[in-house]
Amino acid sequence: MPPKKSIGAEYLKGLWDENPVFRQLLGMCPTLAVTNAVINGIAMGLATAFVLILSSLVVSSIKKLIPNQVRIATFIVIIASFVTIADRFLAAFFPPISKALGPYVPLIVVNCIILGRQEAFSSKNSVGRSLIDAFGMSTGFILALLILSSIREILGSGTFLGFQVMGSWFKPWVIMVLPAGAFITLGVLLGIAILIESKTKTRST
Amino acid sequence: MSLSARMIVVLTVVGLISGSLLAVVGLLTKERIEMNRQQEIQTAINEVIPSTKTSHKIYEDETLTVYESLDENKNNVGFAVYTSGTGFQDIITLMYGVDPSVSKIKNLTILDQKETPGLGAKITDEKSFLRFWEGRNCEKPLSLRKPAVDSPEKLDPSEVNAITGATISSEKVLEIVNLSLQRLKQIKQGGKLSSEEKNAT
Repeated sequence: MPPKKSIGAEYLKGLWDENPVFRQLLGMCPTLAVTNAVINGIAMGLATAFVLILSSLVVSSIKKLIPNQVRIATFIVIIASFVTIADRFLAAFFPPISKALGPYVPLIVVNCIILGRQEAFSSKNSVGRSLIDAFGMSTGFILALLILSSIREILGSGTFLGFQVMGSWFKPWVIMVLPAGAFITLGVLLGIAILIESKTKTRST
Repeated sequence: MSLSARMIVVLTVVGLISGSLLAVVGLLTKERIEMNRQQEIQTAINEVIPSTKTSHKIYEDETLTVYESLDENKNNVGFAVYTSGTGFQDIITLMYGVDPSVSKIKNLTILDQKETPGLGAKITDEKSFLRFWEGRNCEKPLSLRKPAVDSPEKLDPSEVNAITGATISSEKVLEIVNLSLQRLKQIKQGGKLSSEEKNAT
């Protein structure tokens, strides 16, 4: 096992070094699908964070009880429960957001970030560390969705969180709110992330 | 405990706990979700028939639901029709208001749609689509005007505007409305929409 990281590093790794979207390329489905508007990106990020943090809490507290052979099945049952709670909660208290996110909230169940963290981290680490890791990963995921959805909403609709930010001269690039725009934006951002990574690496060595 | 027994026990216990937790959450949110749905319909009725004071369901079948809308003096000010049909990508659910004689459309609102964002999804846009429906004469089936015009005055009384770049979505909405209008007229002729009959029963 690698040496234990400090608490701060455990949290910060989710923001950049192991950012779920830009570095691990996990959870691409919601990343691409719901980022056509900032509000949807934030809501999806928060819903995923809720599920990830609570699942990590539960999985890391009962990790010793779960037989290795049925661990994935157990993780999925736990994750699915929290997803359903999040889904009902959104439908009851934030119906417009629930409508906009449509089928993507139930699909958090199969978001690889969540299962990935349970398998790679929470099932091997203490409750405290797992929670910090989950918070870090959630922040990283929310940040990534925020960046992606801001670019897409500003260029695709000329608005930010629904407010007009571009002048009347601006003709919205419809492609940015379509699926193709999601792939283009994500591709460019990934390229930038790799560029930054390679630049900082060469400097440090 | 043997391994298989442990596997069964752990999964069963986790499943039971999850199940009961979800049952509780379901119970707690059920009422609110139903309330939201009712509220959404209520808001939509007020939107399509602005003079509505109260409204109630007067007819319902698999294809459409009709609400009768009354003003403060309990006069019928029109019917709100809630219906849905296939769009370009998925089901479009909409509501529109007609006057009591089913000859004029009052307003149209789209409740649920998954059309292409930026193109077909403009069917929810007031400026480029919905405002062209106000006051349309619907004694005969409505038709679509394309290429699109920029102001409602340029349309014939029974024409609605197409959205540039989203003709199919516009056509689908028109189809849904025309189909339900036809059905509405049949129901009306069958006497199922008259308040007198309802008062008598």
